[in-house]
Amino acid sequence: MTPPKPHRVLLERVSVYADEAAAFMRRRRVARRPFARLYYPHGRSADHAQNSRSGAELFVAAGRLIEVAGKKQKG
Amino acid sequence: MTTVMIQEARARVTVGSFSQMPDAAAATVPSEESAEAALEFLTEMSPDLRGAAILGAGGEVLAGTGGEPERWGEDAAALFAAADGAEGKPVEQVHVATEQGEVFAVRNAGLAAVTVTDRFALASLMLFDMRSTLRQLASPNFTPPERDESRKGDG
Repeated sequence: MTPPKPHRVLLERVSVYADEAAAFMRRRRVARRPFARLYYPHGRSADHAQNSRSGAELFVAAGRLIEVAGKKQKG
Repeated sequence: MTTVMIQEARARVTVGSFSQMPDAAAATVPSEESAEAALEFLTEMSPDLRGAAILGAGGEVLAGTGGEPERWGEDAAALFAAADGAEGKPVEQVHVATEQGEVFAVRNAGLAAVTVTDRFALASLMLFDMRSTLRQLASPNFTPPERDESRKGDG
């Protein structure tokens, strides 16, 4: 049995890394939930859950802005 | 019910939400032409951007994308009102990520910028670009950045 050609080993390794990266991005997209984050002076930040009163207000306001912006123009 | 609360908040604090900017005293009033040039530059720098607006200290729209600039003013005021009301303190930056897209809002140098991007935009870069755009726009010797023709049509 002959060993695989060196360039094939390299190609295989690169494609394995590419598959790993693609899987990571897929998992990130699936796992990422909507969130609202506020940043205050001096670097403090606070997350507000969608089901809280403040979070719901932020999501409604953000939804209106998304509506104003509309769809991205291609080209 | 939530919409009603938003409407009430908007009426109550539209002006207040913009006058609560932490460094409002440093504000200079840029011309609409300067704001439009700055907005164009911001749009060019951010491939994920769908729409954006730059607002003055009083909440007036200095520049906005799309055909309804006045709506940017109303809806940005509602967003800042909701954000300031969350803890009763003025916020510096807002980031809301939804299934439909992401919304960023920044107050800097007495001005405000609001952008809407595709999902999964790089938040830190977006906020950095918005802050630096506002800072440059507020400086008294602001000159509109030259348009890079070689990047036209990229993306």
